[in-house]
Amino acid sequence: MATDGGKLSSLIEKATHSTSRELDSSLLNSIKAIVKSSDANVHVTVETLMENMKKNHSQVRYLALLIIDELFMRSKLFRSLLVVNFDGFLGLSTGFRRNMPLPPPASIASILRSKSIELLEKWNDSFGCHYKQIRLGYDYLKNVLRFQFPNLPETAARLRHERREREIRSKEILVNKFENLKSNYSSIKGEIRSTSDEISECFEIISGTNSKDNKFSCDSVDDENAVEESTSLAMRRIRLESLREGMIVHENSDNKAVFDMLRELYKLLTSKHLKTVQDSISVLVRVDASDVRFRDSALKELIDIRNDLQLAKKRCEELGCVAPDDDENRILWEEGKIEVESNENSNLSGEANKDMVYNSYGDESKNDASTSGKESIDEETIVAGDGFGPSSPRQQLLAKAPVMTWGSFLDSWGMVRDVPANQRGMELECHWGRVDYDAVIPAEKIAELNVQMTYYNEQHGEIRPCFAPLKKGGLCQRRDLRVCPFHGPIVPRDVEGNPIIANTSQKHDSIDIGGPSILKTSTKDSDVSFQPSDLETLTAEELAKQAVKNVRTREGKEREKDKNEKRALKRAKLAKVREHNEMVLRQSALASTSQGLGEVMGEDIEALHHTSSEYKEKKQTLASMLRKKVTPRDRLARRLLNAHATEATVRQLTHGEDSNYREAFPNQW
Amino acid sequence: MWKVVDDRELGKIRPASFASHIQSARASSLHLSNRKEFVTAHKGAVNSFQVDLTEKRYLLSGASDGSIAVYDVQHATDYNGGGLVAKHTSLFVVDKRQDFSHKYSVSSVAWYPVDTGLFMTGSLDHYVKVWDTNTVQVEMNFKMPGKVYGIAMSSVSTSHMLIAAVSEDVQVRLCDISSGAFSHTLSGHRDGVWAVQWSTSNEWVLVTGGCDGAIRFWDIRRAGCFRVLDQFQTQFGRRPPLLKSSTKGSVPESSVASTSASAKVKVPQKKAPCGGGAKQSSINKGWTKGSVLQRQHPGMLSSRNRASAHYGAVTGLKVTEDGMYLLSAGTDSRLRLWDIESGRNTLVNYEAMRLQTNKPIQLAVTPDTELVFVPGLTAARAYDIWSGRTILTFRGHYECVNCCWFNSQDQELYTGSNDRQILVWSPDSMVEEEVENNEKGPKRSLDEDCWSD
Repeated sequence: MATDGGKLSSLIEKATHSTSRELDSSLLNSIKAIVKSSDANVHVTVETLMENMKKNHSQVRYLALLIIDELFMRSKLFRSLLVVNFDGFLGLSTGFRRNMPLPPPASIASILRSKSIELLEKWNDSFGCHYKQIRLGYDYLKNVLRFQFPNLPETAARLRHERREREIRSKEILVNKFENLKSNYSSIKGEIRSTSDEISECFEIISGTNSKDNKFSCDSVDDENAVEESTSLAMRRIRLESLREGMIVHENSDNKAVFDMLRELYKLLTSKHLKTVQDSISVLVRVDASDVRFRDSALKELIDIRNDLQLAKKRCEELGCVAPDDDENRILWEEGKIEVESNENSNLSGEANKDMVYNSYGDESKNDASTSGKESIDEETIVAGDGFGPSSPRQQLLAKAPVMTWGSFLDSWGMVRDVPANQRGMELECHWGRVDYDAVIPAEKIAELNVQMTYYNEQHGEIRPCFAPLKKGGLCQRRDLRVCPFHGPIVPRDVEGNPIIANTSQKHDSIDIGGPSILKTSTKDSDVSFQPSDLETLTAEELAKQAVKNVRTREGKEREKDKNEKRALKRAKLAKVREHNEMVLRQSALASTSQGLGEVMGEDIEALHHTSSEYKEKKQTLASMLRKKVTPRDRLARRLLNAHATEATVRQLTHGEDSNYREAFPNQW
Repeated sequence: MWKVVDDRELGKIRPASFASHIQSARASSLHLSNRKEFVTAHKGAVNSFQVDLTEKRYLLSGASDGSIAVYDVQHATDYNGGGLVAKHTSLFVVDKRQDFSHKYSVSSVAWYPVDTGLFMTGSLDHYVKVWDTNTVQVEMNFKMPGKVYGIAMSSVSTSHMLIAAVSEDVQVRLCDISSGAFSHTLSGHRDGVWAVQWSTSNEWVLVTGGCDGAIRFWDIRRAGCFRVLDQFQTQFGRRPPLLKSSTKGSVPESSVASTSASAKVKVPQKKAPCGGGAKQSSINKGWTKGSVLQRQHPGMLSSRNRASAHYGAVTGLKVTEDGMYLLSAGTDSRLRLWDIESGRNTLVNYEAMRLQTNKPIQLAVTPDTELVFVPGLTAARAYDIWSGRTILTFRGHYECVNCCWFNSQDQELYTGSNDRQILVWSPDSMVEEEVENNEKGPKRSLDEDCWSD
């Protein structure tokens, strides 16, 4: 027992001598376990806790109070021991005696006071009728000293009462609604019925006129069908689609009145009837009315009506007499529509939109988009029947468009503009200073980030044997890429080993080969062809290779010539640009911000890049992109070193930049 | 307890001793009662109360907010906590809202000793009022010269209806209810008087304790006080054997001469038993020296006696039931037991306790003169009268306790305090516990251990 007591008091010491606002739960648990084990321990605990309550520190008292609460709620013996000196305990915990105020840490003392008052109330609620002392203490603090008790149970009871009242009120309202519905039911139903009748009449009128209109078109399609017996599956699908399209009636001068009517009815339907039906259904579901029979039947009917109405609504929307979108959407898409109308005269907005998409995509020439686009374009050309032939400029553009892998950079393809860095619809809470919402990522940086890499894919092909005739008979079986060490360059040879190239040059015009597209495209301006007799001995692949080779050599020559020209041109342009730059630099030396100067420089580079990219292919573009990795600052430095700018400018620039930086990030160095 | 019952059954002990045994056992096991509580009707400190002497049923209390209330101590008005707690609400309350009530704090209350039809109150507004209990109306007003601190009526009087009223004035007045006027004015105190008690054995003897620290005995049939208690006139024990013989009254002179030879030098007239005034005065004459004293009226002789019973004011007096001893409390926080017969301090050392010093207090004594209940600061105490040991401490009040009353019928103690409460301290009751165990099966579960882990 004695060891228990010592352990207990040390545990309590440990638990109460802490700075935290909460008790250590493990310590508390062990205290509880020991206290539970024997009555003697309870005595020891009460003594130790009261000693702790007498300590001249509010924190210790507070933690002791928490332990007391834990034990008080559990042990009867603890309670009966504590209440013996309950006034002393209350004096120590609430400090109600003027000559014994609570000890120093004032903030914790106030917490201690409020906590002990709260606990006293709790204890009084649960054990007040068993312990007169608790009642007395509560009564004294409340009625004599007029302490403010939190009055938790009463508050809870009041809240419960309020909630119950609210429920009752809402129930009453529901019942009232139900009664209203009951009395108005027939009239509501009649109204809705009349509306839906009108709508269905409208539908009948429209479909009646439509069937007349459509007959002709259908017949014509049928005729066509009769003519072209061998319709492909695709064609049949297209026909069906067009038929369905034909079923949808479009507004015209004839049925304008009907459509107007329908529109009004639709509005009435959506704004009034559907809402009332929905409301009454919810009322019927929620109310617990006495008249169950009426409720059930009405509910059933109402659900039927709702379904009918929704069907009618859907049909209206299908008919296109009403835009299914709400006003917001319409506003959002207004811009696009205008464009569409300016581009095309079609009144099928969906199709027009599609075209728009194709157009824009076609220009950008995505890999995937172009293939899928092609398909749909094929379809479209057949369906719509307007001039999208293979010779259309789009096709030409498509043909020479670069093929790219898909990536997010395609979103900003071709756009040269700064991107706001901190405006992406998210609130950014930065730890390192305030967020600069006006910060932009400059266009060149974006371009730099969007640089595409290409991989070299090695092409594995069969290395052909040399096939040169050997002196000992037979053909050389040695395989080399270009040159055989014994027989010179590897050339296509016939069965005997004679090279065939010498012959081909004379008869190149006479052949026309239907082969792979790559050959086909090149044949147009190719002057390489093979003898028909030779064709038998060579595979198509060899031929292709030969042809490519020929073309390459010639193209190389052309390109060289082109290049020389271009280089000269470029040099002239660069000279011009440099001149201009120098002039600008001279001006901008006066400018105070690096931003302005950077922009100026950026423009120059852009101009340069633009001029070159017009003439060059993708590789050049990428290279220029890469070149842009040289930051504007570097370039500036270089230019400034070269040109006549003074050191003062540099100082000014750096100073301006620094101040900008400091302004943007005040708490950074 | 059962052994005593058995003994009584066999006739081993007499009925009276059996009863006193039970009563004393109960009285020494008092604790705060959870079964019985008075719903206080007061908004101020409870200064004084008294249970009526005829039925021992109605508790009259007066409080510092000028209110007077009467409670029924036997019958509860309602129950709380599932019948566990009996609540005693006041039968009636008179407070300042009634225009005939006291304006200021009611300092003292007393029942008319003969029946419960009248009661008296004294207040700091200088009035002593006599009330009709049934109509709750003031029947009589006595205007005192100063704040009234205490009133008393003799419980044994058969020939007079006098209210002894003490006030901040030095004179003690006796108000005659039958005539409605002051019948006596007793002069002798040098300061205001806080405590007043009638003797329980002699209807003519009045004891007063004043702020000058003196306790004076008055025989209302004669002029002047006949005794002033001196704390230095001492004797050991309950009753010295010589004095025991003197109480027979046959040979007073010899006994006085022999026992108080040493004391006589200081205080000449100290030894006369009550009623023997004539004889005594003749003796005193012989002892007095000087012409001044000789010229005075014999009854005024004691007015020059400056002996003090306490250092500081006497705040409370209580004569034991048998009328042989007097307990006094003073602002020196001492409790003294006096032998009335010899007028000596019995030198019982009551354990140290602090007493209230700014108000009169009301002591209580058990009928068998075993225990005295003393209101301390926040805790009342029960002392063994003869040894001075603390038997019980009554801790429960939140402010100073002003008054105690021992209800001898139920062996219950009532205490009134500045925290407005009147608490009931009752003995353990086996019967009650059994009843509780039988009745409150579900209720008991509320107050049980509940270790969740």
